[in-house]
Amino acid sequence: MKDSVAQPRKHRSVARRKLFNNSFSVICLLVSSLAIVVLATLLIAIFSTGGNWLSFEMLSGSHRENNPEGSGIGQAILGSLVICSICGLVALPIGVGTAIFLEEFKPKGRLLRIFHGLVQLNINNLAGVPSIVYGILGLTAFVYMFGAFSPIRVNDQPDYEIGATYFYQTKTLGGQYVRFPAVPLVQPVIKIKQGQIASKINGDKFKLNVVSASTEKSKYANQVNKTVLLGTEAKLSNRNGNQVYEANTIGGEPFVFPAEATYSQFAKITDPITVSNSNGDTFSLNVLSKSEPIPTDPTILAQSVFADSPDPNKRSSASIFRENSLFHLHLPFSKSVLSAALTLALVILPIVIIASQEAIRGVPQTLREAAFGMGATRWQVVRSAVLPSATPGIMTGAILAMSRAIGEAAPLLAVMGGVLGTTNHLSSLMDKTPVLPVTIFKWAGDENQGFEHLAAAAIIVLLAFLLLMNSLAIFIRYRYEKKLS
Amino acid sequence: MSNLASSTRMNQSRSILSNTIPQASPATLTPPVENESIAIDITGFNAFYGSFQALHDLNLKIPNQKVTAFIGPSGCGKSTLLKWCNRMNDIVPIARATGSLTVGGRNILTRSTDVVDLRRQVGMVFQKANPFPKSIFDNVAYGVRLHYKTSRSELSDLVEWSLKKAALWDEVKDRLKRSALGLSGGQQQRLCIARAIATGPEILLMDEPCSALDPASTARIEDLIFELREQFTIVIVTHNMQQAARCSDRTAFFFDGKIVEEGATEDVFTRPRKQQTEDYVTGKFG
Repeated sequence: MKDSVAQPRKHRSVARRKLFNNSFSVICLLVSSLAIVVLATLLIAIFSTGGNWLSFEMLSGSHRENNPEGSGIGQAILGSLVICSICGLVALPIGVGTAIFLEEFKPKGRLLRIFHGLVQLNINNLAGVPSIVYGILGLTAFVYMFGAFSPIRVNDQPDYEIGATYFYQTKTLGGQYVRFPAVPLVQPVIKIKQGQIASKINGDKFKLNVVSASTEKSKYANQVNKTVLLGTEAKLSNRNGNQVYEANTIGGEPFVFPAEATYSQFAKITDPITVSNSNGDTFSLNVLSKSEPIPTDPTILAQSVFADSPDPNKRSSASIFRENSLFHLHLPFSKSVLSAALTLALVILPIVIIASQEAIRGVPQTLREAAFGMGATRWQVVRSAVLPSATPGIMTGAILAMSRAIGEAAPLLAVMGGVLGTTNHLSSLMDKTPVLPVTIFKWAGDENQGFEHLAAAAIIVLLAFLLLMNSLAIFIRYRYEKKLS
Repeated sequence: MSNLASSTRMNQSRSILSNTIPQASPATLTPPVENESIAIDITGFNAFYGSFQALHDLNLKIPNQKVTAFIGPSGCGKSTLLKWCNRMNDIVPIARATGSLTVGGRNILTRSTDVVDLRRQVGMVFQKANPFPKSIFDNVAYGVRLHYKTSRSELSDLVEWSLKKAALWDEVKDRLKRSALGLSGGQQQRLCIARAIATGPEILLMDEPCSALDPASTARIEDLIFELREQFTIVIVTHNMQQAARCSDRTAFFFDGKIVEEGATEDVFTRPRKQQTEDYVTGKFG
């Protein structure tokens, strides 16, 4: 048998092989130390630029235009924490639920199996989608809600709203601000909006087309009976017991559309009404007619307004204001903290799902068998055997996902705009707030050199948050491993 | 000659434990199982994994309050049959079965079978001890909590009873709140038995319960099986023929998805009717 295989004669040089081996390990070492060098440079650059700017005032303050020394990131930190927490609260249950469905409730039926496969495929792909794409998704889904509600109105009053109080506010002759509650009214006359659904007298519905006077006639010549001029007003009237607005198209055909109660932008003050001032005192407003002399007593002056006067300088109509409670919510969500948090939840959802799936897959099959063997239902198996063992892994994944969320700037720019500072505090989920990454983005590009230093200081704070979250994740994993052994 | 050899070996090994154990009468030759004492009745049973047929047209009656051992070489289908007895194969998506498998008078292969209730009646102990990463107490109480609403005192009584039945109480009574993962392999397996009997099953299925244990732990489990058959019908799958000989009343020998021979353990081991059985129990193959 020996003669069948000829041994090769030429040997490879052992010395050369060793040389290759050694040089390759040196190259590997160099390449990996390059990463450390870059990281070190980054840290040194940031600390030398922004280290001195860290102070208590900087950590607690808020953005001031053209005043880097007086600006701070207090609002941004609060905003980031609030958005990140809501994002986690939304993404965690949905993510874990999806992971449980994908891993533990694998369906048997053919159609459901296809659905299951589609969901899995989707999630794997979504994990790699750039976050700005999610920003556009959030804009469509949360900010405008697919346009399912009417376009946002002049005074930003949305279609459905809870937790907000509307009031009219005006300045008295004495310079004091007073307010009185607003009641939604059916306006006697309104301006017609583009796209308003109206019906002809015979009941046919159509979409109104609004054109400006300068538009060429040829552009709407064939649909004059669906077109009105910009600024056309519709008058309130009563038709069969329903309140409707009535007007005519350019073609002279009458149409109607239902009337809704809305707040008017301004309220005329003609009668003495009960108002309250910022101290909470209530009193009856002293309404002066234009012929009356102006009182000299400052106390009376502070409680007096002119009745609606033709003189614009003395006109005392009150304009509408809104005060939001903590539970203020409206549809669509428009550009708000809630939209931002939900969009970020979408960004991290695939990460949470994949991490949870890994954690659930890591639970030994013997545990499931044990629970099934005891007569547990599938849900009981998940609840009492799978989830307790998978929780540390799920938590680790969730925290790492949230540490990604806290550093995201692009989707927030899309769904909340580049808010740097607001005058009022974050009072409800419908407000806007500055956040750390957007603040850094804006400051780093500011023409005022001081803001670059401030941006570096804010980056140090952001890195500290990331470090904190990652160490929490490591801590949880460490404790879990200790507990299992 | 080979018959003689195996019977001697069996008797020797049995004598270690035989103080309290009534010896089966050698006079009767494979007594037929009476109808009213049948715990599991298998007729015309076929099992498949996808297109592969693992079991072919099985017919077997498993008697009440006896220990029945399934023996045979690896891959002969004995574990498959055992797992079908409480529908544990439902977890395997490609597994299916035809024929009839009756537990307590009801065919459990039907769609309408409530597997949750079935598994309460038919407990299972697995090859590898698989306690939950919970306390010893919570492990035993697990099944009870799944199926019953109990008061705290009822529950602790039940846990104590189960642990005593599983001969584990004395070793763990001072550390019920400690993690079950701190127990030794043999203790963990007895804990799993305690967990299985806590829900009050009529039948206990054991899938090679001692294959991962040392001889001392194995002996304790075998002791336990002897005591438990007073109250439970036990079906045990084993690769260890001495074990089957030591602790079972009846034995079924499986080969290649079929039951070659079934009868009283004494007969199967000392007077096998089939050459194949004799070859296997005497160690000529397998």
